[in-house]
Amino acid sequence: MMHFSRRQFLADNAMGIGTVALAWLLKQDNLLARPKSVQVKPPSFDLTPKTSQFVPQAKAMISLFQHGGPAHMDLTDPKPELTKYSGTDFKDEVQYSFVKNASKKLLGSPWKFQKHGECGTELSELLPGLGEIVDDVCLIRSMHTGANGHEVSIRYFHGGIPGVVGRPNLGSWLVYGLGTESQDLPAYMVLTDPGGLPVDGVTNWSNGFMPSLFQGTVLRPKEPRILNLDAPAHLRGSLQAQNLELLQELNRKHFEQHPHESDLEARISSYELAARMQTSAREALDLAQETKATQDLYGLNNPKTREYGTRCLISRRLVERGVRFVQLFHNGQPWDNHSSITTGLPAICGRTDQPSAALVKDLKQRGMLESTLVHWGGEIGRLPVTQSHGDAKKAGRDHNGQGFSIWLAGGGIKGGMAYGKTDEFGHRAVENVVTPNDFQATIMRLFGLDYKQLLYHHNGQEQIITNGRPAKVVSAILESPSEKLS
Amino acid sequence: MTTVFKRISLMTILLFCFASSVIAAGADKPANLTYEEHIRPIFRAHCFDCHGATEEMKGGLDLRLVRFLIKGGESGEAIIPGKPAESNLINRLESGEMPPGEARVPQAEIEILKRWIATGAKTSRPEPETIGPGLGITPEERAYWAFQPIKRPEVSAEFKKNPTVRTPFDALLLKAMPDGLAFSPDAEKLTLIKRVYFDLLGLPPNPEELQRVMANGSDDWYESLLDELLKSQHYGERWARHWLDIAGYADSEGYTVKDDVRPWSWKYRDYVIKSLNDGKPFDQFIIEQLAGDELVGKREGDLTARQIELLTATGFLRMAADGTGSGSNTPAARNQVITDTMKIVGSSLLGLSVACAQCHDHRYDPIPQADYFALRAIFEPTFDWQKWQTPQQRRVSLYTAADRAKAAAVEEEVKKVVTVKNEKRVKYMAEALEIELKKYEQPLRDQLKGAYQTPVKKRTAEQVALLKKNPSVNISTGVLYQYLPKAAEELKNFDKQIAEIRKKKPVEEFLRVAVEPANHVPVTKLFHRGDYRQPKQVIKPAALSVVSPEGQRHELALNDGKLPTTGRRLGYARWLTSGKHPLVARVLVNRIWMHHFGRAIVGTPGEFGKLGSNPTHRELLDWLADEFVQQGWDLKKLHRTIMLSTAYRQAGAHDPSKESIDAENHYYWRKPIVRIEAETLRDRMLSVSGVLDRKLYGAPVAIKEDDFGQVVVSGEQLRRSLYIQARRSQPVGMLQTFDAPVMETNCERRSNSTVATQSLMLMNGSFILSQSAKLADRINREAPELKPEELAALPAISVSEKPVWSFGYGEVDQKTLKINKFTALPHWTGSGWQGGPKLPDAKLGWVTLHANGGHPARKYAGIKRWTAPATGMLSITGKLQHGTKNGNGVRGLIQSSRTGLAGKWIAYNGVAETKVMKLAVEQGDQIDFISDCNGDVGFDSFTWSVQLTLEREKGPAFKWDSKTGFHGPEPVQKQSLPAQASYAFELALCRKPTPDELKLVVGFMGNQLAYLQQHPEQMPKGVTHAQQTITNLCQALMSSNEFLYVD
Repeated sequence: MMHFSRRQFLADNAMGIGTVALAWLLKQDNLLARPKSVQVKPPSFDLTPKTSQFVPQAKAMISLFQHGGPAHMDLTDPKPELTKYSGTDFKDEVQYSFVKNASKKLLGSPWKFQKHGECGTELSELLPGLGEIVDDVCLIRSMHTGANGHEVSIRYFHGGIPGVVGRPNLGSWLVYGLGTESQDLPAYMVLTDPGGLPVDGVTNWSNGFMPSLFQGTVLRPKEPRILNLDAPAHLRGSLQAQNLELLQELNRKHFEQHPHESDLEARISSYELAARMQTSAREALDLAQETKATQDLYGLNNPKTREYGTRCLISRRLVERGVRFVQLFHNGQPWDNHSSITTGLPAICGRTDQPSAALVKDLKQRGMLESTLVHWGGEIGRLPVTQSHGDAKKAGRDHNGQGFSIWLAGGGIKGGMAYGKTDEFGHRAVENVVTPNDFQATIMRLFGLDYKQLLYHHNGQEQIITNGRPAKVVSAILESPSEKLS
Repeated sequence: MTTVFKRISLMTILLFCFASSVIAAGADKPANLTYEEHIRPIFRAHCFDCHGATEEMKGGLDLRLVRFLIKGGESGEAIIPGKPAESNLINRLESGEMPPGEARVPQAEIEILKRWIATGAKTSRPEPETIGPGLGITPEERAYWAFQPIKRPEVSAEFKKNPTVRTPFDALLLKAMPDGLAFSPDAEKLTLIKRVYFDLLGLPPNPEELQRVMANGSDDWYESLLDELLKSQHYGERWARHWLDIAGYADSEGYTVKDDVRPWSWKYRDYVIKSLNDGKPFDQFIIEQLAGDELVGKREGDLTARQIELLTATGFLRMAADGTGSGSNTPAARNQVITDTMKIVGSSLLGLSVACAQCHDHRYDPIPQADYFALRAIFEPTFDWQKWQTPQQRRVSLYTAADRAKAAAVEEEVKKVVTVKNEKRVKYMAEALEIELKKYEQPLRDQLKGAYQTPVKKRTAEQVALLKKNPSVNISTGVLYQYLPKAAEELKNFDKQIAEIRKKKPVEEFLRVAVEPANHVPVTKLFHRGDYRQPKQVIKPAALSVVSPEGQRHELALNDGKLPTTGRRLGYARWLTSGKHPLVARVLVNRIWMHHFGRAIVGTPGEFGKLGSNPTHRELLDWLADEFVQQGWDLKKLHRTIMLSTAYRQAGAHDPSKESIDAENHYYWRKPIVRIEAETLRDRMLSVSGVLDRKLYGAPVAIKEDDFGQVVVSGEQLRRSLYIQARRSQPVGMLQTFDAPVMETNCERRSNSTVATQSLMLMNGSFILSQSAKLADRINREAPELKPEELAALPAISVSEKPVWSFGYGEVDQKTLKINKFTALPHWTGSGWQGGPKLPDAKLGWVTLHANGGHPARKYAGIKRWTAPATGMLSITGKLQHGTKNGNGVRGLIQSSRTGLAGKWIAYNGVAETKVMKLAVEQGDQIDFISDCNGDVGFDSFTWSVQLTLEREKGPAFKWDSKTGFHGPEPVQKQSLPAQASYAFELALCRKPTPDELKLVVGFMGNQLAYLQQHPEQMPKGVTHAQQTITNLCQALMSSNEFLYVD
């Protein structure tokens, strides 16, 4: 009869490539009395905090996603040559999305740039808030998706493959890998716009092939803020507590008859967690607990910035309470300035610039910036040439996945730096090109994870976020890039 | 702990066992390392892409044979046997120079390479003189268990004799058990009944069914029950869902953002249900799905029922996401459809990740890239990316000749109406023109008329300019109503008439099929790196090499002359179901076993290759596979065999001594509990509450987004969850939360999550709330009363379940100020109680009571009666108010059934404070608030609100208010609350509550009633406290673990 030896034990629990190879070798050596892995039960998953592979810099991430493609040459990437040759024909090849209005005429930025902070990074007058935090920010000017379409690039950023749906998003991977510090709030939360869903809808926070545990939980901009969180009218007061008490008593009696079934115990605690969530989520959303100074910092006193500021402030409160990943979305894609860029772009900057900067300032003054990674950016940028609509006032810019900017701050990111370059007109990333896969690899590194080694078994395949596409950790933008894997 | 990191160093990794113990692994060192057994797998995983698999070797280095390694490439020899430190290979790997890019060979594997070189770089046999292109398949690779023929294991007589062995495979399980383990005793009858109901039908037994089976005392009750359930039509629904998971069933196309609805997908779903219900042999089922169209034969006239069935079956090949009909008909999108279809075929039937060999030879399993394309060639005539057919183009109409004739006749009828309509239209347009032209003087009028009446293309430049200058002359049908409103209306009515006629047309239905265009024999080429833009050599259709003995690969004819189609898929399907294929039967029985036991023998049911798990019980797997084939691929027989076993019939018993040996129950010494699947959970709720629509088959149930953006079933559609429309982009919230798959491609195994969002859904979700209320209704209708002795054994409910307030009238004895009799007021107006629909009522006069007050009659006083739901000390405050100088005011009396008159007030054009301090009451006492006319009934409208506080010996004080507590008629509770509670257990959990549970519930109901009576504002409209209490009990039962898990 068989008994478990240590060797078998090792073999039985083999997971991952290295050990599969090991198990195979062992098996060929006839050392295995039993099979290499006994994965008999359907995998079960949880959100308990897990230790990362190496020392993490970031513990949480707030991603301010800017749907539509912010015009980098008007915001973060000054192009004197573009201004100089504005109105003349662009010599290079351009890939247009809207061929009907395609034009080769270069469009210099109508906005002034100036240096900010000790680092002296040049920024547009449209982003005074960013100017104030620029010493904490790493501006990446060389993003590249290679594709102009919105969805293609959005999915590339979230799920790792251009244009492909059905994959878990970055947030899913992080909470799959690390669990969450907060046992009273969802690990991965999404703050949607009161105006509606962003382009590509719920795919933006899909868990793809992972269990729904790793899906982003939507915090709605109006009541009910979280679906099914609140008791219906007839169960308010202590009634639901009475219901739960009865339920748990029944469950306990049932568990006594099945003391070896740990799933039953897990479900009993999941009810307890749900009950706790009802209080803690409400508390997390109570901005009255914030001082007037803080509220003003986020622009809650200004109708223009109040809405986005509120969400930025809520995201800080969520991270403070241990939420791992928070992502903010706009309604539709307000940065998609195909036309009338001279009015459209200042409008969306006016709504978001101050709150975004306030978030970084606030995190910093609370000592949370070190461990909280803030991301600001869209899925693409815009073209240096004009998108013509006959009338100069109506001019805009078409999509550009060849080169654009995003910024990161905190969580182990080196502040006060600009990384990478686009060409002299801002069309293509030409130096230190960063792809969404590099972005993902780098973020996972900041969380102490090696993107190549965080595996999820799906349909018999080992999945990683980049799906095996070429990727690299951009170590030049890390505060401590040297950390090696064991 | 299920998060998986790729381990780097074998020396430092921690391996987690399933019981979460952690031990450090020591290094294991096989003694005799050989190239074939130990080295080649490392090269296959990391190096062969550039140094072996392709015709051109990078740097001239070929790693396929040891002598090539020694010879080396452009940079010199790769290894020097005996000298690992001087071997280039090791240096390159350790420096990270190779492989290029980020990937690294794990240090442990480099160590193995070093030891192998150090021990002389041995081979296990002489290397061949010559070697063809590619990696080939070595004997070691072929020796992998899953590629071996299925071998029925011998079952020793010794084990057969064991009394616990009911089927041969019981013996196999028993044999595998370590000392100290044995099967647990059979589960109790009730447990078994529930188990088989959920397992075979996905529905609970209803009380009658349960009673009938429980009452069947014959020895073969269990066998008869299995036979009965296997004949149920719901069996097909339950098991179709399992197959639809692996087939990747969806009602939408996916791929693009639009995620267009796939309108006829459900015909395939119904085919699967029907095939399973009919007990179609599974080999036949597979053949039809892969090649039904090739069996259809010649079409003469209308499609026969059999032809329709065969064509519908090929819907299996059309389940993959397909964006080519919804705006993305690109080569990439087309090739993706092919890739996904092959993945579905691979994972459902072969249990292999063949897709891994699309870009290069499979890194772990012996599947050359050429094999992948040989498989692809089988499907190429149907899925030719260069001559693509969009989903719309692939539809087959189900119109019969009769339908077509009928449709033509209808169109003929339409034509007649259209003719009349057109004539009228021309006439009216001319009239309208005349009206318009009256605005113009001659000769302009005639010029305009001439210009307008000239056909557009023939108009002269002047005419065009003229019309442009006078745009109002351009009269169109759309503006006709501005001139001749009646005529416009008449024309519109013609359209209605046409639509009405067209309704008579037979509805045209379609099938979603995979068929081959006639005489279409495309050439398949291998794509370099899987890229369709880089086609290379031509590949012929064939099955995977490794599943046949060397040199006997199953190849398929390019074109079978006997068939109108190429016959490739048919040939392949026949090979798969020949009984000789090592994988198909194993893969199928493994999945069936998984659905019966909640766990599979091979834990990765879609991956039997090296990346998957090994079987926990290989002999069991082979026995089942062989038995399945021997029994004619009869799925129902297989169910029966499995379910008749001791292993299946065991109790889920707790047994510390066995747990100490095998806590995780790897050896099946007990039956594990299984959480019911998302669909079963929803179906169970519907079934229990008695509203489930048991209709079979048909178009999917529509879905919608509710006010909060959550996807729900649209309207009151109470069909089984299997029939809910499955949009890839709009998963139904409740199903997805409980792990129903959202089809990306397909789902090989569902995950099983336990998360707070599920709990929140069961606490607050609209579906469970509505089902709880429906269950409570059903209980109120059907619950039988408990026996008197059962009732007597229960503690009294601390709070009376009867309504606290009732509303009536009576005559006041002017001496005692008592009422002679309390009679309920007979008529409810919607806001108040009175004697009849009209005032004054012939018999009761002006008596009315409403929330704030009322009006007495000359003879009768109005009475609000409060019945004490509990014992305690009652205090009353209130205001009796009369608002006019006319008349003589009203009188208010408070009478206690225990202590008599407690207060007396008269209000006349003013307010009387109706305060009563400390009135002792016992449960059931009545306090009457009597309002009479004070002798004269004129001008006697009054308001009287009272607030009651009951201090109890224990617990918080209760409070009532006459205004918020005012209510209309309440449904009668037929049975006592304990009787209803007991029946709630019977319906929800298929059993009576234990005496302890009933006591617990009685306490719960008392608390609930007390709370609800205090908070009438929380009560849903038209529901009594008792009903709401039962509803809440039902919710607790339907969210309990006993409801969510099956023993």
